[in-house]
Amino acid sequence: MYDEQRLIELRGVSKSFGDTQVLHNIDLYIRKREFVTLLGPSGCGKTTMLRIIGGFEMPTEGSVLFEDKDITDVPPYRRRVNTVFQKYALFSHLNVFDNIAFGLKLRKLPKAEIKERVDRMLRLVKMEGYEKRSVESLSGGQQQRIAIARALVNEPEVLLLDEPLGALDLKLRQEMQLELKSMQQELGITFLYVTHDQEEALTMSDTIVVMKGGRIQQIGDPKRIYDEPKNAFVADFIGQSNLLTGVMLADELVMMAGKEFPCVDEGFEKNEVVDVVVRPEDIMVVGTDVGMLEGVVESVLFKGVHYEMMVATGETRWKVHSTTMQPVGSRVGLSIVPFNIHIMRREAVAIPAEGGGQV
Amino acid sequence: MKRRWFATPYALWMLIFTIVPLLFVVYFAFTTRDGAFTVENFGKFFRPGNLPVVFDSFRLAFFCTAICLLLGYPAAYFLASRDFSRGRAIVVLILLPMWMNFLLRTYAMMTLLERNGVINTLLEALGLPPQSLIGTEGAVLLGMVYNYLPFMILPIYTVLKKMDHRVIEAAEDLGAPPMKVFSRVVIPLSVPGVVSGITMVFMPAVTTFAISRMLGSGMIYLIGDTIEDYFINFSNRNVGSALSLVLMVLIVISIGLLRKADPKGEGGALW
Repeated sequence: MYDEQRLIELRGVSKSFGDTQVLHNIDLYIRKREFVTLLGPSGCGKTTMLRIIGGFEMPTEGSVLFEDKDITDVPPYRRRVNTVFQKYALFSHLNVFDNIAFGLKLRKLPKAEIKERVDRMLRLVKMEGYEKRSVESLSGGQQQRIAIARALVNEPEVLLLDEPLGALDLKLRQEMQLELKSMQQELGITFLYVTHDQEEALTMSDTIVVMKGGRIQQIGDPKRIYDEPKNAFVADFIGQSNLLTGVMLADELVMMAGKEFPCVDEGFEKNEVVDVVVRPEDIMVVGTDVGMLEGVVESVLFKGVHYEMMVATGETRWKVHSTTMQPVGSRVGLSIVPFNIHIMRREAVAIPAEGGGQV
Repeated sequence: MKRRWFATPYALWMLIFTIVPLLFVVYFAFTTRDGAFTVENFGKFFRPGNLPVVFDSFRLAFFCTAICLLLGYPAAYFLASRDFSRGRAIVVLILLPMWMNFLLRTYAMMTLLERNGVINTLLEALGLPPQSLIGTEGAVLLGMVYNYLPFMILPIYTVLKKMDHRVIEAAEDLGAPPMKVFSRVVIPLSVPGVVSGITMVFMPAVTTFAISRMLGSGMIYLIGDTIEDYFINFSNRNVGSALSLVLMVLIVISIGLLRKADPKGEGGALW
């Protein structure tokens, strides 16, 4: 796991391109050896944030700190970070070996050491024997590995990865996710990873930073982000969910879909309108006699491990995941335990950043 | 599959105006005035009096290409740079002279350089002694560079413009300061454009004849002028054809060597 020491810190960082503000007053820190993922839909500002840390963009306001020293004005070539670019950006005029050795040669290391380190990297990314190949002759997955090796060989303090697996097919992507995670743990390097793929974020990260519209929505470890989304956006973006409007009748009692449900949230105004999130896998399909709700199955999709069913209870339609199949048109009962009902304040105000992954 | 027929008009055009004339050139080069087979025409090329002319032609073409590259690369680099928003307007300015007939451009150059031309008039007005500009090798070189420079800038500009900016960022990211980014990444990646530019300047420069005639005032005599003389003034198309053929082979060889630097023809292959 990661240390407590803060390696990189953004303080009040804002960024505008012309009239468009893409980052609003971002505060964030990344700890040594932490795997942090910036997660959000395209246009949420996650790549801009990465580029500010890499030194390719200057923040309009605020500062970037590296080990407590201000590096806002330090150019990319003097920062101890390396980047894996979205579409690899390999040097097409150089072969695999020279691509990986690029940074080492600039530092004028002895030839033998360069060779040794490049060899070690090639072993790490499982590309031994490809030294002399032209990078254009490689497949997407292989180019990706070379791009990772080219960055890692410099032993950076932080590796920035900008949607590095976006161009790969599903199977290869899942394979690479595991490999990246184990590389990160093996080498003990801090990773800052940008993706719009929530599953990827949940699989790999120590800490997830969910972003929307240039603002941080929530920071937390994957489990917390999944189980306790701070607002409707986070809930909707992370995993599938049923998003409903409810009314808090009292502490630990919410009214939704025309019924009262016991829940575990308190501290709301009486009759305050709230967003309610229920995960599809948290809804139990039971007999109509014992269910809290009664509805009709409208559709069934087989998803491999489970069935995904749409169940209509009056005006409300629920997405339900269950390992047992109920035929379309059958009447079923639905039950939700209090713990699995997530209540969120309605107003999606900017959430004050609380730093990386405090649980 | 039917699409090939769209090329028919051009194919005919090429047949009539390129392939047939080329066959004529080959035929004339290997025959005497009476139509008998001979290889003696080629001997004229290697005539002692002619070799300095060939040498001069290649030397001037070489200098012209070198100057165009030295002027053109930085210009193209500047135009293609991201921060330069008015790039397109300047590119049009560079192209503008190309929209005019090159003889007109060369005449314009003559009026500048003439004994009583613009430059000398200015010099006299300033009380300075007039210079003999026209009729020198410098004047011919100036005319050649003036005419051929856009052919150097454009291919390099095109290659630099479409270069993936992330590759440059990747180099910076790996620790390369601006000069290293330029020497290790930008220059190697722009080789195809440079090769294309050199080709497009060198080929017409070697065979230049009008520019040398107009700006050389008869003092500068190049292989192009020799060929013209054989055809027009000496009415000897047999020797003229032979000289053309040898020159063609020499150009093909030099360009072929150059092409090795850009095997994939990324700079817009010319053949």
